[in-house]
Amino acid sequence: MQVTSWAVASALVVASAFTSVAARADEDLKLGVIAALSGGGTAWGLGLQRGVQIALDEVNASGGLKVGGKTYKLGLVAYDDQYNAAQAKTAVDRLVQQDGIKFIMGPIGSPGALSSLSVTQPAKVLQFVDGYAPGILKNDFNAAYIFRVDNSNLEFSERIVTWIKQAMPEVRKVGMIVPNDATGQAAVPTLTAAYKKQGLDVWVDFYERGNKEFTPVLLRMMAQNVDLFDLNSASPGDAGLMVKQVRQIGFKGKVLQAGGAGVDEIVAIAGPLANGFIKYDVVDEADARTKPLVDAYARKFSGPMNGMVPIYYNATQILLEAMRRADSLDTTKVRDEVEKLQGWNTQLYGPLRWGGQVSYGNNHQIMLPFYMKQVDGKSIRVLSTLQPVD
Amino acid sequence: MLTPLMLGQVVINGISLSAIYILVALGFTLLFGIMRVVNFAHGSFAMLGGYALFYFYGQWELPYLLAAPLAAASVAVASLVLERLVFRLFYQKMFQSMIALLGLDMAITFTALLVWNPYERSVPTPLDGVLSVSGLIIPEDKLVITGVAAVALLAFWLFTRFTRHGLALRAASQDLEIAQIQGVDTTRLYRLAFLIAIFMAALAGGFYAQTYSLSPTMGERPLLMAFIVVILGGMGSIPGVALGGLLLGFSESALSTFYGSAVSTFVSFGVVFLLLIFRPWGILGTPEHE
Amino acid sequence: MNERAGAAVLGRLGQDGPGAMRRPAVLLGVLVLAALVLLPLVMSSLFLVSVATGMLITALAAASLHLVIRTGHVSLGHAGFMGVGAYAATLTQTVLHWPVVVAALAGFVAPALLGLAVGPFVLRLTGKYFVLVTFLFGEIIRLGLVNWQSLTGGANGIFQIPAPPGFGSPVAFFFLVLGVVTLLLVGIGRILGSEIGRAMDSVRQSERLAQCSGMPVLKIKVAVFVLSCGLAGLAGVLQAWFVHFIDPGSFSTVQSLNLLVINVLGGLQSLTGTLIGTTFLAVLPELLRSYVELQHVIFGIVLITVMAVLPGGLAEAGARIRGLVARRLTR
Repeated sequence: MQVTSWAVASALVVASAFTSVAARADEDLKLGVIAALSGGGTAWGLGLQRGVQIALDEVNASGGLKVGGKTYKLGLVAYDDQYNAAQAKTAVDRLVQQDGIKFIMGPIGSPGALSSLSVTQPAKVLQFVDGYAPGILKNDFNAAYIFRVDNSNLEFSERIVTWIKQAMPEVRKVGMIVPNDATGQAAVPTLTAAYKKQGLDVWVDFYERGNKEFTPVLLRMMAQNVDLFDLNSASPGDAGLMVKQVRQIGFKGKVLQAGGAGVDEIVAIAGPLANGFIKYDVVDEADARTKPLVDAYARKFSGPMNGMVPIYYNATQILLEAMRRADSLDTTKVRDEVEKLQGWNTQLYGPLRWGGQVSYGNNHQIMLPFYMKQVDGKSIRVLSTLQPVD
Repeated sequence: MLTPLMLGQVVINGISLSAIYILVALGFTLLFGIMRVVNFAHGSFAMLGGYALFYFYGQWELPYLLAAPLAAASVAVASLVLERLVFRLFYQKMFQSMIALLGLDMAITFTALLVWNPYERSVPTPLDGVLSVSGLIIPEDKLVITGVAAVALLAFWLFTRFTRHGLALRAASQDLEIAQIQGVDTTRLYRLAFLIAIFMAALAGGFYAQTYSLSPTMGERPLLMAFIVVILGGMGSIPGVALGGLLLGFSESALSTFYGSAVSTFVSFGVVFLLLIFRPWGILGTPEHE
Repeated sequence: MNERAGAAVLGRLGQDGPGAMRRPAVLLGVLVLAALVLLPLVMSSLFLVSVATGMLITALAAASLHLVIRTGHVSLGHAGFMGVGAYAATLTQTVLHWPVVVAALAGFVAPALLGLAVGPFVLRLTGKYFVLVTFLFGEIIRLGLVNWQSLTGGANGIFQIPAPPGFGSPVAFFFLVLGVVTLLLVGIGRILGSEIGRAMDSVRQSERLAQCSGMPVLKIKVAVFVLSCGLAGLAGVLQAWFVHFIDPGSFSTVQSLNLLVINVLGGLQSLTGTLIGTTFLAVLPELLRSYVELQHVIFGIVLITVMAVLPGGLAEAGARIRGLVARRLTR
C-alpha cells in the first residue's frame, strides 16, 4: 500500500510538473506589421514582413520570449496599407483599437509613416518605421514612441559624397535622374547640397514612376557633360534599366547609386553592362554575420532577399532584447530600454548606434554602417565600409 | 545641344518608343472598334504575355522565333475562357464593360502576384548588342520591335482590307446590325477579334518585358499608353494607332531630351486633354452620330 | 450604336421617379442615422468609430459624384477635386493660419471654381469621351500637386494637419462628420427630388428633347458639376482632418475609380443605391483583411459578377428582393 501510494504520489508530482510547464509556455504576443502588401510597393512590404517573421521564428524555436516571468509565443498580424495614407490609418486603427497591438513594425514610406503617427503616438504604441521624410522623427510628438530603423538619406548622403570626392577626385559634375515620388523629392535637396558643399556641380531631372524608357532623359543628361551619374533613390528595377540604358547610349563616365538597396536585381537586369557600377548597400551577403539570415530566408521564401529583410530582422531583434531588459511589455519601459541599447552588439551590424540629435532633436535614428560595393565582372566586391554622420 | 547627331538620336529614340506604343495599342483599338469594349484589362494581358515569354524563351529555352509567337498565342488561346466567361457578357455595353474589365484587371494582376512573386524579373533578349551607325546608337532589340510593329501594322491593314474576315470585322465596326443582316456571324467574329487583340497585347507584353522588366504590375503603363495613343489617333482606327503612336513616341523623345521628363508628361496629357475637348474622336477617327 | 446602349442604361435611371423611392428610403435613413449616433456609446472599440468616420467621408464624395452622374456624365477624375479642396483648406489653415471655418469654405470654393473653369468645355462631351477627359484631368491635377513642391510639399505631402479645435478626439470628430455629412446628404437628396432634379433627369434621358423644350441644358449641367466639385472638396477637407495627412497619392485615379465603383455598385439609379455601395466598399475590405492579395482578386471577381448579374447594381438587388417578398405576400 505505501509503495503504491508513493508511486501514485510521485507520478502525480511528475505529471503536474509537466503540465504546468506546458501551460506556462504559450501565451501569445503579437507584433503588428503595416506595409504595402499589394500593388507597387509589395516587394518592400514583403521584405519587411519576412524579416520580422524570421526573427520571431528563431525566438520561438528556442522556447519563446521570456518576459516578466512569463513565456510568450511570438506571432505577427500584418495589414496592407497599399502605400496609401488613408489605408495606413485604417490599418493602424485596427491594430491599435481592435487588436490591441502595442508594437508595430512599419509602415514604410512617408504616406503610411506620417499618417500612422497621429494614432500611435497618443496611444503610446511603439513603432519602428522606414522612410525618408524628416517628419517621421521631427514632429510635434518629438518621436516619443517612434524609431527609424534604417538610414535615411540625411544620414548617408554627406558621407557618401565625401567618399566620392576622395575615391574619384576627377569628378567635377554630377547628373541625377530621380523618380518624382516621396523618396526622390526628399532625397534630392540633401544630396544636391552635399555635392555642392564638396565643390561639385549638380544637374537634376525627375521622371514619373512607371516610365521605363529613360533614353531621352539620359541623352539630355549626357549633353550636360556629367562625369558621374548618380541614380539616387531609384527603385532596383528602374535603377537596373537606367544602368543598362545609359551604357547602351554610350555614357563613359561613372555610374553610382547613393541610396536604394540591393545590388542583385540591378545586376540581373543590366547584365554585363553593370560592370563598374558602384552602389550603397546596407548588407554584405558575404559577411559571416549575414550568412545565417541569408540561409534562413532561402529556406523559407522564394525570390531574392531585398534590403528590407535585414533591416527589419535587426529591428525585431532590438525590440525583443529591449523587452527582455525591461522585463515588461509596458511600451514606455520598453521604449526606454530601446534607447539604452546604445552600444549593444547586434547580430548583423555590430554595435547599435542611435543618433539624430542634430537633425531631429532626438536620438531615435539608427546609424547603420553601410557599404559601397562595386560590380566587377561577375562578382560584387566591397570597396569601402562607411559610418553615417550625425 | 541642337546638333545633327542629337537630333538624329532623338528621331531614333522616337521611333523605338512609337513601336512599342503601337504594338500595345493595336489590340486595344480592335476591341473597342469591333466590340465597343474598353479593355481596362489590356495591360494585364500584356503582362501575361511577358510571363509566357519568360517561360517559353527564358526557362524552356525554345528558339526565339518560335518562342515569341508561341507565347503570345498561348496567352490568347488560354484567354478564350475569359472571353466566354467575362467579355461576352459586356459586348456593346460600354459602361458595364469598363467596370467589369477593371475588376478583371484586378483579378488577373493580383492572381499573378500570388502565383509569381512581386520582384521584377528580366527576360533575356536574343539580340543584346547595340548598332552604331555614324554616331547614332541603335539598340538591336529596339530595331527588332520596330520591325515587328511595322509588319503588324501592314498585316492588320491588309487583313482588314483584303480578306473576308477582315472585311467582316470592318463591317461590324461600322454598323453591327447591318452586318448581322448581311449574314455575319457575330459570335465567331468577336472571338476572332478577341484572339487577334489578345495576341497583339501578349506579343507587345513580351517585347516590353524583354526591353524593360517583368513584374505582375508591369501592365499599368502599357495600358495608359494604349489609352493615349488610341485617343490621339481615334478609337477603332488602325491608321490612327500608327499616327497616335508616332506622335506620342516622337513628342516624348523630343520633349524629354530637350526639356526634361516633367514637361513631356504635362504636354502629352495636356494635348490629349485639349484634343478630347475640341476633337474627341481623334485625328483620324470619325465623329459618332448622336 | 454604343451611345444608344449607353444612353439606354443611363435612361433607366430614376425611372421609378424620386417620389416612389422616397418613403422606404427615408425610413431606412432615419434608422441608419440612429444606429450611427448610438454607435460610439454602444461599441467600446474605437476602431468601428474610425471605420464609420471614413465611410461617412467616402459617402459624401460618392454622393457628390452621383450628382454629376444623374446629369448623364460619368466622371473618372472626381478624387482630383477632393484633392484640390483638401489642399486649399489645409494650406489656408497651416500657412495662412486662418480660422477653420474659412479653411472649410476655401475647401469648397477652390474646387468649385476649378469645376466652373473646365465645366463648360468638358460637359459638352458625350459618354466615353467625358470619362476619358475627366480621367486625364484627374491625372493633371495629381501631377500639378506633385510638381508644385513649394506650395504643396510635393509627393511628401503635408502632415500634422490639426482637426478643428474642440473636435480632436475620435468620437467628437465622428459626431462632427456625422452631422455635416448627414446635412449635406439630405441636401443632395432634396435637390435630386426637386424641380432641379427633374430637370437633371430629363437632361440625362434625352438632351435633344430637353434642349428643344427650352431648357438651358449646358447651364444646368455646369451648375450641378460646380456644386458637385465643391462638395467633393468638402469631403477632401474632412479627410484631411481625419487622417491628419494629405499627399497627391491620396487623391489619384485609384480613389476616383473607387468612387465610380461605389456608384456603379449602387446602380447609378439613386442616392440610396450610392450609399449602399459605399457601405459595401467600406466593409468588404475589412472582412477580407486576412487574405491580402486574395482580397483584391475576390474584389475584382465581385465587380465582374455584380456587373453581369445585376446591371442595376445592389439597389436593384434590393428592389428584386422586395418584389419577390411582395409576390409571396400577395399569394
